[in-house]
Amino acid sequence: MSFRACLTAVLATSALAAFLPSASLAAPRTELVLAIGGEPDDGYDPVLGWGRYGHPLFQSTLLTREADLSTSPDLATAWSLSDDRLTWTITIRDGVKFSDGTPLTAKDVAFTFTETAKSGGTVDLSVMESAVATDEHTVVIKLKRPWITFVENFYALGIVPAAEYGPGYARKPVGSGPYRMVSWTEGEQLIVEANPFYYGKMSPFKRLTFLFTGEDTSLAAASAGKADVVSVPATLADAMPHGFTTVVADTVDNRGIVFPMRRNEGEKDAGGYPIGNDVTADIAIRKAINLGLDRKALVDAVLLGHGTPAYGPADDLPWSNPEGRVSEDEGAAKALLDAAGWAPGADGVRVKDGLRAAFDVIYPSSDSVRQGLAVMLSEQMKPLGIAITPKGDTWEGIDRVKHSTPVLFGWGSHSPQEVYSLYQSGWAGIESYNAGYFENAAVDGHFEKAQAAESLEASYPFWRQAEWDGKTGFSARGDAGWAWMVNLDHVYFVRACIDVGQTQIEPHGHGWPITATIQNWRWICE
Amino acid sequence: MPVWFRFVAMRLFRLALLLIGVAVVAFALAKMSPVDPVTAYLGPNIAKVGPEQRALIAARWGLDQPVATQFLAWLSNLASGDFGWSATYNAPVVDVIGSRVAASAALMGLAWMFSGVIGFSLGVIAATFQGGWCDRVIRVYAYVLASTPTFWIAILLLMGFSVALGWTPVCCAAPIGLLPEEVTLIQRLHHLILPLVALSILGISQIALHTRAKMIDILESDFATYARAQGASRLDVALRHGARNAALPAITVLFASLGELFGGSILAEQVFSYPGLGSATIAAGVRGDVPLLLAIAMGTTLVVSLGNTIADSLYAVADPRIDIAAGAPLREIGP
Repeated sequence: MSFRACLTAVLATSALAAFLPSASLAAPRTELVLAIGGEPDDGYDPVLGWGRYGHPLFQSTLLTREADLSTSPDLATAWSLSDDRLTWTITIRDGVKFSDGTPLTAKDVAFTFTETAKSGGTVDLSVMESAVATDEHTVVIKLKRPWITFVENFYALGIVPAAEYGPGYARKPVGSGPYRMVSWTEGEQLIVEANPFYYGKMSPFKRLTFLFTGEDTSLAAASAGKADVVSVPATLADAMPHGFTTVVADTVDNRGIVFPMRRNEGEKDAGGYPIGNDVTADIAIRKAINLGLDRKALVDAVLLGHGTPAYGPADDLPWSNPEGRVSEDEGAAKALLDAAGWAPGADGVRVKDGLRAAFDVIYPSSDSVRQGLAVMLSEQMKPLGIAITPKGDTWEGIDRVKHSTPVLFGWGSHSPQEVYSLYQSGWAGIESYNAGYFENAAVDGHFEKAQAAESLEASYPFWRQAEWDGKTGFSARGDAGWAWMVNLDHVYFVRACIDVGQTQIEPHGHGWPITATIQNWRWICE
Repeated sequence: MPVWFRFVAMRLFRLALLLIGVAVVAFALAKMSPVDPVTAYLGPNIAKVGPEQRALIAARWGLDQPVATQFLAWLSNLASGDFGWSATYNAPVVDVIGSRVAASAALMGLAWMFSGVIGFSLGVIAATFQGGWCDRVIRVYAYVLASTPTFWIAILLLMGFSVALGWTPVCCAAPIGLLPEEVTLIQRLHHLILPLVALSILGISQIALHTRAKMIDILESDFATYARAQGASRLDVALRHGARNAALPAITVLFASLGELFGGSILAEQVFSYPGLGSATIAAGVRGDVPLLLAIAMGTTLVVSLGNTIADSLYAVADPRIDIAAGAPLREIGP
C-alpha cells in the first residue's frame, strides 16, 4: 500500500469513528456522564450520613425540597407534631417498593431512625427518644425536648430496608430512590440506572455515570466530549468548552469572619488556649468592619465575579432576615469609630485608651479563596484605621487561636440548625460552632421559641427575629457577631442539549447538590 | 546451603524487628498528631452535630479507650490476622488495601520496570557519546523532568493526547460507563497507556543521570583505556565492559525508589483517576485513620525492605566479586 493510500485509510477510519457518536446523538439521550466530584469514601449508607448534601439518589426521604426549597411529600403522605412538640406522627405512602422489589413499610422507617441514632455516623439524632412503627403505615417518633430542626432529617435521611441492612450495605445500597446502583469502582466511577420500582417522577435519563475525576481532569473530559455535566471552581469558570453552557447555582456556601465577643481576661478554653480579644470585643469595631466592607469588590476581585455579597449565614433562605443587613458606608463606619472613642493615631491606626485597633485574621493556608478574601479585607479596612494582618495557618493551628482571633470560616446549610449552632450561647466554645462566644439573651430566646414552633414553616419568623427583631439580633445591625463577606457561586458546565431547569440554592459543598432536581432535567436537542 | 540459610534467617529477623518498630512509631506519631479523627470525619457536617453525637462516634471507633489499650487491641487483632476496620472507608482494612493494590500493581510495576530499563539505556548512551548532541538531548531531558512538577506533565499529556488528539482516554482504568466485567483486555491496556507513559518518563531521569556519571568514570578508567588501545570503539567498551559495572548504581536507585511508587500512585489517581493506594494513604493520614495508616506503613516497609534485599542479592549477580552471604562490603570497582 502506498503512503497516500495508507493515509486515506487512516483518515477514513477516523472520520467513521468521529461519525459514530454523532449519529447516536440524533435521538434524545437517555444516558449521562457527570463529573461533579462528591465521591463518599465510606459508601452510600444514609445511616452513616450519605445524602446529607443533595439527594441520596439510591434511597428516598420522608419529605423533599423543591427547587424553590418549598416542602413536598415524598415517602410521607401526612406528618404532624403534637401540641407538646415532642411527638411526630408520620403516615407512610402505600405501595412503595425497594429496588429489589420488597415493600417499604413503617417498620423500615422506624428501623432507619433507630439505627441512625445509635450508629455513630455524621447524623446527630441525639434529641430523639424513640422511633416506633405502630402499624404498617404509621411511624411515631418521640423527642426528648422540643426541637423543630429535627425535621431536617425528614428531608435528608434516606430510608434503608430493615431486612437487608447490615455490614456491606454501604457498598451495595438498596433503597426506594430514583436510581439503583449498577457498579461502583472506587476512585473511578459510579454507574447507576433507573430504579424500575420507583414511585415518583422518573428522570428521562435512565443511566448515569458519575466520574470521580479531579477538577482539571473533569474539565479535560468535558473538552474531549466525554462528560455532560462538570462542576468547575470559580477560577476555571471562564474556560467553557465548545458545546456547553454555564449553569450558575446561587448558594449559601458562604465565607465570613467570626469575631471573639469577649474581652481577653485570662480565661482559657477546654484546650487551655485563650478566650477573647479586646479589640473585637468592642461592638463599634465589629459594626464598623461590617459597614466598611465593600462586598461587591470582594466578589469581583477574589471570585472573579462568581459570587454574591453575603450578609448573614443563610442569605435568601426562608429563615434569614434581610432587615438585619447594613448598607455599606465608609463614612458611617468612620463616624461610628470616632463616636466610640477610637481616635486615629500617628500611623493612621486608631487607638482607644492605649489599645490599637489591630488584630490578625486567620485563614486556612490551603484555601486560596480565603487567602484572597483575608488580604482584600485587610486592604479595605486600612482607610478606616483598622489594621488587620492576614495570616495563614493549618486547621490544627486555627484550633488553638479560634477563640481569641477572628477566623475566616465557611458555612452554609439547608437547615436553620446551623444558625442555632453558630450563635446560641450554650454552644459557645464547643468545637468550631460558636467560636466567638456569642451571647445575647434575646437571640437565645428567639431560638428557643423557634425550636418549640409547631412546624418548620412556623419557626421561620423566630429565626428571622434572632437575626434582627427590631432592637437586637446576631446580624450586623444587632450585635454583629460575624462579618459575613461573600457567598460562592457554584458553577457547572452543562452540555447545551441538557436543560437542568431551576437549581436549588445550594449549601456548602459544590457538585453533588445539583443532582437534587435531576428528575426535572431534559434533553432538548432534536 | 547453611550460609544462604543464615543470610535469609538474619534478614527475616531484621525485617520482623523493623516491622514492629515501624508499627510502634507510626502508632505513636498518629496519636501525637493534632488531627482529631472525629472532626476530620465530620467535615462539613460539623455544625449539625452536637457533643453527644461526637462522643458516640468516638465510642464506635474505640477512641474513648486509653491509647495503650487501643494499641494492644490492634496488636492482638493483628496476631489473629485482622488488620482492623478503616473508619474512613467504612470497610475492613484488608478490603480497602486489596481493592486498590490489585488495580494499580500492573501500572506501578510496569512503570517501575520501564523507567529502569529506559533510564539505564539512556544513561549508557549519554556517557558513550559524552559531549555530543545525543548526550545533550538526554541530559536536558533528564534535568527538565527532574525539576518539573509531575502533576503538570501529566496534565499536559492529558490535554495533548486525550483532548486535542483524542488518542487516549481521559480517565480511569476502564471505559466510562462500562461495567467492570464487560471491559476487555485491549481496553484495559488502552487506559493504561497514558498513566504508564507519564509515570515512566518521570522515573527515567534519576536513573539515567546516575548511570551516566558512573559510566563516564568507567570509560575514563585504566581498563577502558587499555581496551580502547586494543582497538575497541567507545560503544564496544561501554557495552562489553562498562554496562555491568554501571548497573550497580542503577540497581541501587531503582530499588530505593520502590517507596516512591506511592507518590506515583497519587499522581495517577489525581490526574487520571486510575485506582491506587495513594489517596487512601493521604486520607488515612489527614483523617487519623490509624488502622489503615498502620497497615499501609507496614506494607510499604515490607516492600521497600524486600526491594533492598533483592538489590543486595542482585549486586552479587552484577558483580561476582561481591559475596553478600559472607557479608563482604562492596569493593572499589577496578579492572
